[in-house]
Amino acid sequence: MQGFTERNPISVAVYFLAAAGVAMFSMDPVLLAVSLCGAVGLFLLLDGLGSLRSHLWMLGLFLLSAVINPLTYHNGRTVLLVVNHNPITLEACLYGLAAAGMIVATLYWFRSFSRIMTGDRLLYLLGGLSPGLALVISMALRYVPLYGRQWRRVEETQRTLGLYREENAVDTLRGKARVFSAMTTWALENGVITADSMAARGYGTGRRTHFTLFRFRADDILLLVLSLVLAGVSLWGAAGRTVQYYPVFCLSPLTGRALAGYLAYGALVLLPLILQTKEAIAWHFWSWKK
Amino acid sequence: MILIKSSRLRAVLRWLIPLAAIPLLVAAGVALFPQKQHLLVSLGVAVLALVLFLCGFERRQTGSRRMVLAAVIIALCIAGRFIPLVKPVTALTILAGMYLGGETGFLVGALSAVLSNFYFGQGPWTPFQMLAWGMIGLSAGWLCRPLKKSRLLLAFYGLLTGVAYSLMMDVWTVLWYDSGLRWELYRSAVVAALPHTALYGVSNLLFLWLLAKPVGRKLDRVKLKYGV
Repeated sequence: MQGFTERNPISVAVYFLAAAGVAMFSMDPVLLAVSLCGAVGLFLLLDGLGSLRSHLWMLGLFLLSAVINPLTYHNGRTVLLVVNHNPITLEACLYGLAAAGMIVATLYWFRSFSRIMTGDRLLYLLGGLSPGLALVISMALRYVPLYGRQWRRVEETQRTLGLYREENAVDTLRGKARVFSAMTTWALENGVITADSMAARGYGTGRRTHFTLFRFRADDILLLVLSLVLAGVSLWGAAGRTVQYYPVFCLSPLTGRALAGYLAYGALVLLPLILQTKEAIAWHFWSWKK
Repeated sequence: MILIKSSRLRAVLRWLIPLAAIPLLVAAGVALFPQKQHLLVSLGVAVLALVLFLCGFERRQTGSRRMVLAAVIIALCIAGRFIPLVKPVTALTILAGMYLGGETGFLVGALSAVLSNFYFGQGPWTPFQMLAWGMIGLSAGWLCRPLKKSRLLLAFYGLLTGVAYSLMMDVWTVLWYDSGLRWELYRSAVVAALPHTALYGVSNLLFLWLLAKPVGRKLDRVKLKYGV
């Protein structure tokens, strides 16, 4: 049994599109609250309690997005206070809160997604579009750390030669420009040599095959189908409940259909947590038996 | 497709996904979420354009050397985004479009956006960013002759695309936040993003002014030396 993060990248990507997509396009306060809690919870599960600063930054973004709507939009019947002859209304505040929740929830979904999608998974996903594209992506991803190392190497050499001074901003800029120039030349030549080497070994003469660790197992298909079905039910449920913000905030009464939608979305949000916990328990008992 | 072995099925999917699946998804989304229809339609159009372009990339014989050069510039763009404050991404995309052709420019812009966002934060804005940078590269390819001739025009083009890029991303921010494009909100978004807009424009101008000649010479030299 694998946990959530080790599943086939296609299933994982579909899960995130489903979970974030429902949050992105709905303005239903219940769905948004569930989505926000789930997104933050999943990120904490993956990331632990570190990176407090980024969470504070997100909180700041939430507050800013919540405040901007009532400050720029003055529709709504319930006036809370008047600032510079402009009324601040309850309805605009509520809409701002909902929009802020939507934005922050989506950001957290995407943060978790970026954490899970390592280079090989990304290549598996995007490379599916075309083999040529897969090649460009894999080379570009491989070049980034290589260029970082080469940059440092050139810089150190220039410093040793006494060509690199950091006395003032102009000198620093000039030095960096020189390093960049040397590195670009090297990178382009190196790239062409790579291409020649590939051609010499027969690249492009036959059908390209891929090596990948990812296969579609029964669990992956289950995750894929579950994500799609649960997202479908929650969309269907959300469409059954009208949410109106202006001129008066109004939620249509809770029907069985809307409730089914909420429950389905709740299950969708909890899916990774369930899978990871199941994995942790299985692992615990396995090592305990030994 | 890695999973699909039959090349005929692959070709069918290549056209079916952009031309049928994405419009259907958008239509279904608009029916279900009337409040967010502008966002859905714009997102659908962006993804459609990207998938169509990237699929077309495979059909043409681009040549492995050109592809590797594109990968080199993409890697430089990603590495360049780590520079604090000023970012050379747009400048390098423009140079790639000018010297390696518009299509390579589009590829460099679009892939730099999606790949670097794995370091800098992926989000629903990624397709728009990809499309915006891709179009900047593509149009640089179209305009390569006048841009190569005049350094002043090139710097102006950099300034213009930097500002246009920022204004376009502000449209998307407002669409995401609200149900439609509301002028007051757009104005406040533009004002809030003003330092960024200025920084984009100025860094494009700066990098194009500094890089255009040396990098252009290097690209021309590599093209001449190895016959790309």
